[in-house]
Amino acid sequence: MNAWISKKAGRLLNQFGVWLLALFVLALVSFPLLWMALSSLKPAVELFKTPPTILPKNTSLDWYREAFGDSTVVRYSLNSLIVAVSTMIIDVVLGTLGAYGLARFRYPGRRAIIVSVLSAYCIPPIMLMTPLYRIIAGLGLNSSYLGVIIGHVTVTFPFCIWILVSFFKRIPSEIEEAAGVDGASIFTIFYRIDLPLCLPGVLSTGIMAFILSWNEYLLASVLVSSDTMKTLTVGLANYISSTEINWGVIMALGTATTIPVIILFTAIQKYFVEGLTAGAIKG
Amino acid sequence: MRDFTVPGTATHGWVLLRGDYFLKRRRVVFLFVAPTVLFLAVFVLYPVLFNIWLSLTDAKLLQDTPSFVWLDNYRKLLSSAVFPRYLRNTVVWTAFSVVGQLLLGFGLALLINRTNMGFGTAFRSFLLIPYVVPVVALALVTKWLMNGDYGIVSTWLQNLGLIGHRQSPLALPGSAMAVLIIINVWRSYPFPMLIYWAALKGIDKELYEAASVDGAGRFQSLLHITLPHLKDTTLVLAVLRIVWTATYFDLIWMVTGGGPAGSTTHLPIMIYQASFGTFQTGYAASISVVLGILLFIAVAFYVRKSVAPED
Repeated sequence: MNAWISKKAGRLLNQFGVWLLALFVLALVSFPLLWMALSSLKPAVELFKTPPTILPKNTSLDWYREAFGDSTVVRYSLNSLIVAVSTMIIDVVLGTLGAYGLARFRYPGRRAIIVSVLSAYCIPPIMLMTPLYRIIAGLGLNSSYLGVIIGHVTVTFPFCIWILVSFFKRIPSEIEEAAGVDGASIFTIFYRIDLPLCLPGVLSTGIMAFILSWNEYLLASVLVSSDTMKTLTVGLANYISSTEINWGVIMALGTATTIPVIILFTAIQKYFVEGLTAGAIKG
Repeated sequence: MRDFTVPGTATHGWVLLRGDYFLKRRRVVFLFVAPTVLFLAVFVLYPVLFNIWLSLTDAKLLQDTPSFVWLDNYRKLLSSAVFPRYLRNTVVWTAFSVVGQLLLGFGLALLINRTNMGFGTAFRSFLLIPYVVPVVALALVTKWLMNGDYGIVSTWLQNLGLIGHRQSPLALPGSAMAVLIIINVWRSYPFPMLIYWAALKGIDKELYEAASVDGAGRFQSLLHITLPHLKDTTLVLAVLRIVWTATYFDLIWMVTGGGPAGSTTHLPIMIYQASFGTFQTGYAASISVVLGILLFIAVAFYVRKSVAPED
């Protein structure tokens, strides 16, 4: 009886420990984000107080009004949106075709292409920066949407195709074979059978491409010199290097840049987890 | 993996099933793959080769006709006084970041693997958020947290007497790199966590049951069952994260810009400064080639491990 109680108590204590640990982790992970959001809601009197207070006494949206009352911020957001949506569309169209071709057929050179995709996935933006700058400038695309879009597709495309291959590989080939025997053409099979079956995966890969492009800083900063063509991340990073740092506006913009990303990611993360754990590593 | 391969049907590397239909695929397949191949060739392969070529020239940022200087850039780099220091910064930054994120990722994977309660999925989703937080937002909030006058973390550290009054840990050579590494671990643990979690789910439950019957405790099971099963995963993860961390530019650039006094300058910052600070494109290219060579072996290993044998 005593042993039974101590075993039960031990299990409860264990459970309690797990919960406590989970809470601690939650606090650590949310701390910087929560602090950014809280700071953006504090009026100046509270924001610049020493020592700082944790919770705001009064909340206001003044910093947001000030931030988005500035027409350049609106322009930056619009630029980011245009670039990210275009990157997403190009990645999805090219990626879906390419992934289908890699997952569904066997032909000489296929392995070489797969190896190239994976190697490209490992080439970091910092190494592509210098040559891409010259290539884009040589094409006369400096400070244009197309220039940034090319840069963003370059760094997101290998990731997208790699994830998409893992989605297409999961469709049982018997379904297609049956359709093939019925005389359907390959393109019909592709967009009538495989594409609808993979649609959640394709859409979530697209959203991931959107997020990667929306967050990208290095290439966007290098490939754009004119102020009106800057993306939100580049514009935001410039605020910090200016002599007079407006922390309230910066926290408001940081929060406003992060929230859409978290919402989008939460919506797709189920598929993202499936795709990544299937495709990223086969150890 | 379900592919079209059926033993005995492959001729000349092509898989032929049910005659005509799959023969027709042969031509059409190029339409699917051609855009990918073309894109990779133009925007990945060409820039890489172009970069190597640039590293052998005296190209300037806004100059169109560079001349060949062979290995001058490399000689200049290897004899430069700051190179060993920046290389060491790169190694410190990479080693601590990677070890930190693998350990944290593994620990959290164990945790989410245990929490089979209702909140398990929500908890996992929440833990993935740092993976997508825009680095610029993270960098800005880091600077705000560490602000010497109003930053909450700086205030805590000041109250503990660890740093001086109105001082920021980002302004001290010793602590700036430590702050950056901690922030980098915060943003990059979700990927290892996810991969470890998937690997944990792949371990046969019966092994644990058998061990438990034999009287093994939880810790012994971890040591003798879990860890040996994760060896390959860890190796591949470490390689991938080393490559990405050693070349990762944005966070350091936006938080410290490589300072104070070069204490957080690593090779990617050096490349950027050479390229857009002093406009020496050729020199910048040579630094990235050196960094690339250092990492090439790692990438080759990762690719070899990750391409399924049947591909």
